Amino acid sequence: MPVLQLTDICIDFPTTKGVVHAVSKLNLTIEPGRRVGFIGESGSGKTTTALSVMRMLAGSGHVSSGTIRLGADETDVLALSDEEMRKTRLKRVSYIPQGAMNSLNPIMRIEHQLWDAIIAHEGKVARDELKRRSDEALESVGLSGHTGRLYPHELSGGMKQRVCIALGVILRPELIIADEPTSALDVVTQRQVMQTLKDVQSGIGSALILIGHDMGLMAQSVDELAVLKNGELVEIGSVRQIIEDPQHPYTQQLISSVPLVGGESFLDDTVGAPPIKRSDSGHPLMEFQGVRKDYGDVTAVHPMSFKLDGEKPKIISIVGQSGSGKSTMGGIMLGFTPPSQGKVMFEGQDVYRMGPSATLEFRKNVQAVFQDPYACFNPFYRVNHALKFPYKRFGLAESDAQVEAKMAEACEAVGLDPAIVLHRFPHELSGGQRQRLIVARALMLSPKLLIADEPVSMVDASLRATILKNIYDLKDRYGISILYITHDLATAYHVSDYVIVLFHGRVAEAGPPKQVIGDPQHPYTRMLIDAIPWPDLKRPWGADPAEDARRMEEVRGHTETIFRGEVPGFELSTGGEMRMAAE
Amino acid sequence: MAEVSAQTQAPEGEAKGRFNRFDNPWLNPKLLWGIGILLGIVLLGLIGRMLWNTELVFTGSTPLRLPPVGFENLRGQPGEAAFPLGTDGAGRDLLALLIIGAPNTLMIGAVASLIGMTTGIILGFSAGFIGGRTDDVIRILSDVMITIPPLLILVVFQSVYGDVSLLLMAFLIAGFMWQSPTRLIRAQVLSMRESGYVKMAQLSGASTAHIMFREMLPNLIPYLFGSFIANVTTAIVTAVGLEVLGLGPQRIPTLGRVIYDAINSGALIQNLWWWWGLPTALLAVMFIALLLINLGLDEISNPRLRKI
Repeated sequence: MPVLQLTDICIDFPTTKGVVHAVSKLNLTIEPGRRVGFIGESGSGKTTTALSVMRMLAGSGHVSSGTIRLGADETDVLALSDEEMRKTRLKRVSYIPQGAMNSLNPIMRIEHQLWDAIIAHEGKVARDELKRRSDEALESVGLSGHTGRLYPHELSGGMKQRVCIALGVILRPELIIADEPTSALDVVTQRQVMQTLKDVQSGIGSALILIGHDMGLMAQSVDELAVLKNGELVEIGSVRQIIEDPQHPYTQQLISSVPLVGGESFLDDTVGAPPIKRSDSGHPLMEFQGVRKDYGDVTAVHPMSFKLDGEKPKIISIVGQSGSGKSTMGGIMLGFTPPSQGKVMFEGQDVYRMGPSATLEFRKNVQAVFQDPYACFNPFYRVNHALKFPYKRFGLAESDAQVEAKMAEACEAVGLDPAIVLHRFPHELSGGQRQRLIVARALMLSPKLLIADEPVSMVDASLRATILKNIYDLKDRYGISILYITHDLATAYHVSDYVIVLFHGRVAEAGPPKQVIGDPQHPYTRMLIDAIPWPDLKRPWGADPAEDARRMEEVRGHTETIFRGEVPGFELSTGGEMRMAAE
Repeated sequence: MAEVSAQTQAPEGEAKGRFNRFDNPWLNPKLLWGIGILLGIVLLGLIGRMLWNTELVFTGSTPLRLPPVGFENLRGQPGEAAFPLGTDGAGRDLLALLIIGAPNTLMIGAVASLIGMTTGIILGFSAGFIGGRTDDVIRILSDVMITIPPLLILVVFQSVYGDVSLLLMAFLIAGFMWQSPTRLIRAQVLSMRESGYVKMAQLSGASTAHIMFREMLPNLIPYLFGSFIANVTTAIVTAVGLEVLGLGPQRIPTLGRVIYDAINSGALIQNLWWWWGLPTALLAVMFIALLLINLGLDEISNPRLRKI
């Protein structure tokens, strides 16, 4: 008997602008013990479908037609009373939310939150029994019973996510819905958490719905895959069939948009205009002289020096997990975060000791693309404000007509229609459109150096390749040097000329991407690459905690930087103090 | 979601025009009703002064204790058309009292709140943007001030001072109106300072003044309006409270003053309901109007609250 049968499900959201059909005519059956993935971009209805099973649709959303039958007794979920529904949630269907970081009550101990779940469904239970069961649940997700006595803020992101999984399985439900359970975690932790989830799920024999947009992660985690687009189920089948022989063009696009290390490049190698010589001062474009950054007792960036000359534009990638100090480096280069030690030079001038006019010149030449395309536009203004204002401020504007023409040109260069996009408010645009506008802004100002801090991590997978391509074009066609900060080694492999792998603020490995990522020597780089989920079923991906711990030890013991070859125009060295003393 | 974006992207002139008209968040029914009612009260004061004899607010200018038209008082006297809302125990015409009193009460609230808000904006921005020692001083000062019950201080102050003018009273109340806007704006400025668009503006070479007033302040407008209206309500409550205790201006009619007189002359026992009831009802209408404005502004600044 199937655990879940969805028959002709339609979900509508009435809004002021008419009814939005979030999901239409969806049919799906899930057998016990199976793992089913829902994949699609944001707005495709994957979360909505899953939430309808728990009758937890947001706001005005409702199932307008169709039936949802749960479990062997074929309970009609839509016909249950509110009280019956409350009892069904968690007991029969549990939900592991996206961003577990914010899903735990910050003022309650972990075990009390687990106890709450039991008490809400079983009434009064003896304390010893509660304690035994919560410890058991925590152990099943690889946490010690001691964790139960802690508060959420005392746990790391990965641990919190495990607690959420423990909460989801404590009542042994028939169906677990996991909504992008690892989206906020880095690749290494993601692999461990996914392994935990799979182990627990097969341990209690329940079915699992895994929602996500990462084809690689899906390929490594589920048995069956449902591809959704605009609220419609476009393809469903076993994961092997979908990966090896996708039928629908959208599925094919999803699979081909996953960048692979060593695989075929998604970039168009036909270079347009030849790179322009832009540096004229004889000084390197950007230089770190023994830069070190401390936050209290923590060293975010260990002393390092580099010289980037602007003769020939290139892309330098800085990769690492969260907390590796890569964004701090970006902040230092932008003049936002003064270093604790050392100097940052831009064309021979100290960035942190510039007068007002030099600062303006520096701003004009060093621009950035940030991670969050939603926050980068002032909600009060139309989006063209973000393009027009700096253009005028830097004295590039000649007339209003020229500014308009320039904006239109920049929009077209990143594949946006200026007539549609420019005069809208930020909330009327999608994340991808906004991020492309920010790239257009950089293009319009044509700086000498662009710091791109995780430019695609918050954009749908299908758009990532396009935006990276736009950024890549900046180098090739407009001669802009780029520092690409990312946690995604696969994209770094394709776009960059030089890769720096950071671990806890230290350079672990550095060199051209073909060597560093294609053939990693440092244990940390190897660990990162092994943790990337690829849509390749033959590649082993599962994590073994003991093995991971052993490798982590190895990484910690290996603090020496491994240099893997040179690239003309870029020099890197670590341990800047000695260098400074010699000068 | 996909459908909506498809719809909005279609450049259909007619559909777009319709959207714009209905989509303007400022045409919020709650906001419009609230503003309408308040304007009505102000107009009552302005037009009333032209059409009605305001001399009737003085003691003994009319017969005593007449009920409104269509009612009888305990002595069996019917209401007279010359005094449509009745008269009080000292021979003052209630309509004239309301015409003069209601705008006075509103004015105290508006002036006190305006002064409080201006102080709050300046202090809040200084604290949030400059930070450091300035922030400490402003924060501690407003935190301490917020714990002092305003009515207590005002009662002491007014009983020592004796008769006060309307404006002086507004100033006194304003002294207790700046703390919460200061804290609110400081918190907003602190969170906005870290936001992406402020970083973007810094990257664009914007000056501090530009960031404060062109990038941050516009986004605060709904908060400022909301906070202003809430403060008007608080100021009116405080003012009426003082007046009902007999501590307001002695010679200028206000709604609170009318209620004070009514209570003092035993209007409740003598069933002279119009004497205390009408000013109270007018105050209630005023508060409802302010509440509607506040709810409307809330919906404008927070689109998620808007009805489907």
